[in-house]
Amino acid sequence: MSGVFEFLFKYRPLVFEQGDFAFTSPAAVRMWLVGAGVLAMAAVATYTLARGRAARTDRVVMAGLRALLLGVLLFCLLQPSLILSTVVPQQNFVGILVDDSRSMSIADEAGRPRSDFVAEAFAPEESDLLRQLSERFTLRFFRFSSGAVRMDGPGELGYDGTHTDLGAALDGAREELAGLPLAGLVMITDGADNGRHPLTESLVPLQAAGVPVFTVGLGEESLAPDIEVGRVELPRAVLKGSTLLVDVVVTQTGMGRRTVPLIVEDETRLLGEEDVTLGPDGEPVVARVAFELDAVGAHRVRFRIPVQDGERVDRNNARDVQVEVRGDREKILYFQGEPSFELKFIRRAVRDDENVQVVTMERTAESKFYRLDVDDADELAGGFPRSRAELYRYRALILGSTEASFFSHDQLQMIADFVSERGGGFLMLGGHGSFAEGGWAGTPVEEVLPVVLSGTPAAPGDFLAEVKVAPTPAGAANAAMQLVDDSLDVRDRWAALPPVTIVNRVTETRPGATVLLQGTGEGLDPPQVVLAHQRYGRGKSLALTIQDSWLWQMSADVPLEDQSHETLWRQILRWLVDDVPEAVSVTLDQEQVERGEAVRLLASVSDSTYLEVNDAVVTARVTDPTGAVAEIPAEWTVERDGEYAARLVPSGEGSYDIEVTATRGGQVLGTDETHLVVAPSDEEYFGAGRRTSVLQRIADETGGQFYTPANVSALPDDITVTGGGVTLVEQRDLWDMPILFLVLVVLMGAEWGYRRMRGLA
Amino acid sequence: MRLPSRASSTLAVLALSSCVLACDEVGGQRDIGAGFLMQQFPRDTLPRIRRPTREESEDVRLRLPPDDEPPGRHAFYWTRAIYNGGGRGGRGWGRRGYGAWSTDFPKGDRQFLVVLERLVRLDAYDFENAVDLADPKLRRFPLLYAVEVGHMDLTPEQIHGLRDYLNAGGMLVVDDFWGTYEWAQFEYNIRQVLPGRPIVELPMDHPLFSAYYQIDSILQVPNVRNGEAVTRGYGHTWEQDGYLPHVRGILDDDGELMVIINWNTDLGDAWEWAEDPMYPLPLSTFAYEMGTNMIVYGMSH
Repeated sequence: MSGVFEFLFKYRPLVFEQGDFAFTSPAAVRMWLVGAGVLAMAAVATYTLARGRAARTDRVVMAGLRALLLGVLLFCLLQPSLILSTVVPQQNFVGILVDDSRSMSIADEAGRPRSDFVAEAFAPEESDLLRQLSERFTLRFFRFSSGAVRMDGPGELGYDGTHTDLGAALDGAREELAGLPLAGLVMITDGADNGRHPLTESLVPLQAAGVPVFTVGLGEESLAPDIEVGRVELPRAVLKGSTLLVDVVVTQTGMGRRTVPLIVEDETRLLGEEDVTLGPDGEPVVARVAFELDAVGAHRVRFRIPVQDGERVDRNNARDVQVEVRGDREKILYFQGEPSFELKFIRRAVRDDENVQVVTMERTAESKFYRLDVDDADELAGGFPRSRAELYRYRALILGSTEASFFSHDQLQMIADFVSERGGGFLMLGGHGSFAEGGWAGTPVEEVLPVVLSGTPAAPGDFLAEVKVAPTPAGAANAAMQLVDDSLDVRDRWAALPPVTIVNRVTETRPGATVLLQGTGEGLDPPQVVLAHQRYGRGKSLALTIQDSWLWQMSADVPLEDQSHETLWRQILRWLVDDVPEAVSVTLDQEQVERGEAVRLLASVSDSTYLEVNDAVVTARVTDPTGAVAEIPAEWTVERDGEYAARLVPSGEGSYDIEVTATRGGQVLGTDETHLVVAPSDEEYFGAGRRTSVLQRIADETGGQFYTPANVSALPDDITVTGGGVTLVEQRDLWDMPILFLVLVVLMGAEWGYRRMRGLA
Repeated sequence: MRLPSRASSTLAVLALSSCVLACDEVGGQRDIGAGFLMQQFPRDTLPRIRRPTREESEDVRLRLPPDDEPPGRHAFYWTRAIYNGGGRGGRGWGRRGYGAWSTDFPKGDRQFLVVLERLVRLDAYDFENAVDLADPKLRRFPLLYAVEVGHMDLTPEQIHGLRDYLNAGGMLVVDDFWGTYEWAQFEYNIRQVLPGRPIVELPMDHPLFSAYYQIDSILQVPNVRNGEAVTRGYGHTWEQDGYLPHVRGILDDDGELMVIINWNTDLGDAWEWAEDPMYPLPLSTFAYEMGTNMIVYGMSH
């Protein structure tokens, strides 16, 4: 199409877009032409006096045609031109950025890898493109993957970059060429950006400097047929024996809606398998798979779909995630204000869980407490903890039907701080002494609760209602609410449980809280909030407003072998202690890196009362795969209290163990461990189709153009007319456009044909 | 943490007993309280306390509180098991010719609850609650009490119901049966409910004996007549050939008690007749301590 346009109009559409139209004939010539026009009008007028055989319409038509003819001639004589600024040859630079990442070696386009285009287009001897470009500009070559690096020529490309970061590449090239007259940047890539730089931040300086970016997109937009496993999220650390429920996103193009197995495995064994029915082309489908991790230590879990026949890209069928399994015994303090069967059945439900220790304390009389599962006779000997050091030893706190007036104000504040500062988990159970009925409104704990305490609490014994509990949509997706991990719908399992009773009317949650379970019953409108949770400070808080969940174990409607009650409580308690920070905790900004890639280690350090300390001595002991140990000090980041950072550059491949110890004044505050895996990454093979939209956007926002290998030959000319740098104003004639000649011929032919037709000779 | 001493619990029992004494009108017609008041004050300034008539008192046994409300208002319901056996066969009311299950019902239950609530901070339902073993409603009350189990003769539905109840997590307390014959009858029935589970003697360091009060030795608690006789100096606490009291139990797979067996003792009578001045106070105190411990244990294990 553009070829035809160019033939007719002499220049490409881009030139017309860039240039301004003007008539450039000198003023004197115009005057003469105008005069000639007037005489011509007079001549035409005399024709009308002549009598002939022609009818009125004929005369009008023929006069019109003649007039048009004259108009075209006039147009040509007025010297129409395009005024545009063109780049001065040899005075400007052009940066050529070539994608050097692994995705360039993917073979598409009739089985040839994308890198072939680069090899051909920039082969020193044969390439037209290179010749034209180097005639007009001085070329500077860069190769980029996570950043731009200068190179002398295309021969230095290795296509082994593990990330593609377009923004960083543009920044790098622009900075290197700053100060030079830059006509533009040419970026040759497939556009599959998986870097961390937002693109907009890199485009704005280019716009400001007036540097257009010409993008050449390689590869096919969709690599079909292919199955791709999307990103998988797993918690960083879990307790031994936890059942993990993971959502895996799988997308297929061109493979049809078949069913494939999703295999979950770690280094030593198969953990789980689930069949996934793929969705329509390009549409992601979520597969939920449950599995258990038993052995304590670091695990590398792989989610993989076996490579199917005919898949174009086989390296995007697996994802690896690091998980650490902890074997500690987490302590939970459960304080019950008066004897209740709920305590009995909660204890029974988690009796077999080796990793959760529920220390229970029941108030049987005014100053009499019944303690169970304490470590020794001194633990909690003085009643409910009175000091932070005593309370913070637990990871979670459960309060069952204890009225607020039992606690001193300090203790109430301490409970609130337990959640916000220490980061512990908090759960309040329903009962006469809980929520508004227990006088908790107006206490520091009220803010911690995820529910709003009603203004007018019922007097004890007044309100009692039966509710049928069902999960909300958020609850149905929550791992802790799954009663068993078989294929039965979670809602059906909940529907099979008998109703329970409430004595606290709770209908509203705080902003930011999520309702997981809802209760419906006679006269209860709006429905009762049964289980809600929210994050508060560093911790989380839950509210369970029913008072007798033990009915789900005892009721005659529940079969004896049903484990719903046990499973529910086990999962709730594990959820309560999940992610509860220790005094010292360490994280890495990336779990897996390539050899030579830097990793930032962040440690947060607090003392026994969980106040951040800024004067601790923090050391990271790194054991590399060969067994050699290095000690790296971490420095306080100054930006944030209690945060210490260190930089680590691993040199060999394998698994690194990192143990961080914090001491202050000779006393050890705590230690934490984490792991780092150094291995080649397959990130480049995910989402490796050409991202036309990204490349088009880069071109549009900077004033450049987008090309594919098919039309890239126009690139040198286009840079000339649209580029920045040193430019020259040029005037290009339009009077000799072939289309004008064609129009003249057509008009004359039309007039002659009309005469013949009408028999006017 | 020191447990309240025997003395304080004894005083509590004594105080409550005297209150109950003033109000109780069932059976023996003890007018002491009202009569005393009549001597001190002229008739027209007496407070208006209407004493129930004998007919109404009899009706107490039959008048059960409404049970159409879902049990949930209170944390604890003292539940008595209705079972087949004793008397002229079948279910019935009262000891005199009716089923064995109803011994001391409902006065014993109400009495027990009055004192229990004074001793333990427990939100308990103030009335008796009798449920048949075959009734699915039984599951709503995870702690169950059965007396005179020496006359037990369970129907298949009751066996099945009790077995499921115990396996689900419920706990049964049995009381008031004496001698080898009654033991054999009980054992035969309980073996049908829980075949294969051994009955063990509970050692004194079992958590049951320190759940609320610290109990160091098992005392034999007699029925009311024997108790009065002992106080008068000529009686004995035992019945039939049950000379020594035992506290035995049946444990579940995790070592928690499913059934607590009080053999050769009658805790129920001590609970019911605590206000009787001729009933030996140390024994009724012991009975209340055992009862409280069993409840606190049963609600936490």
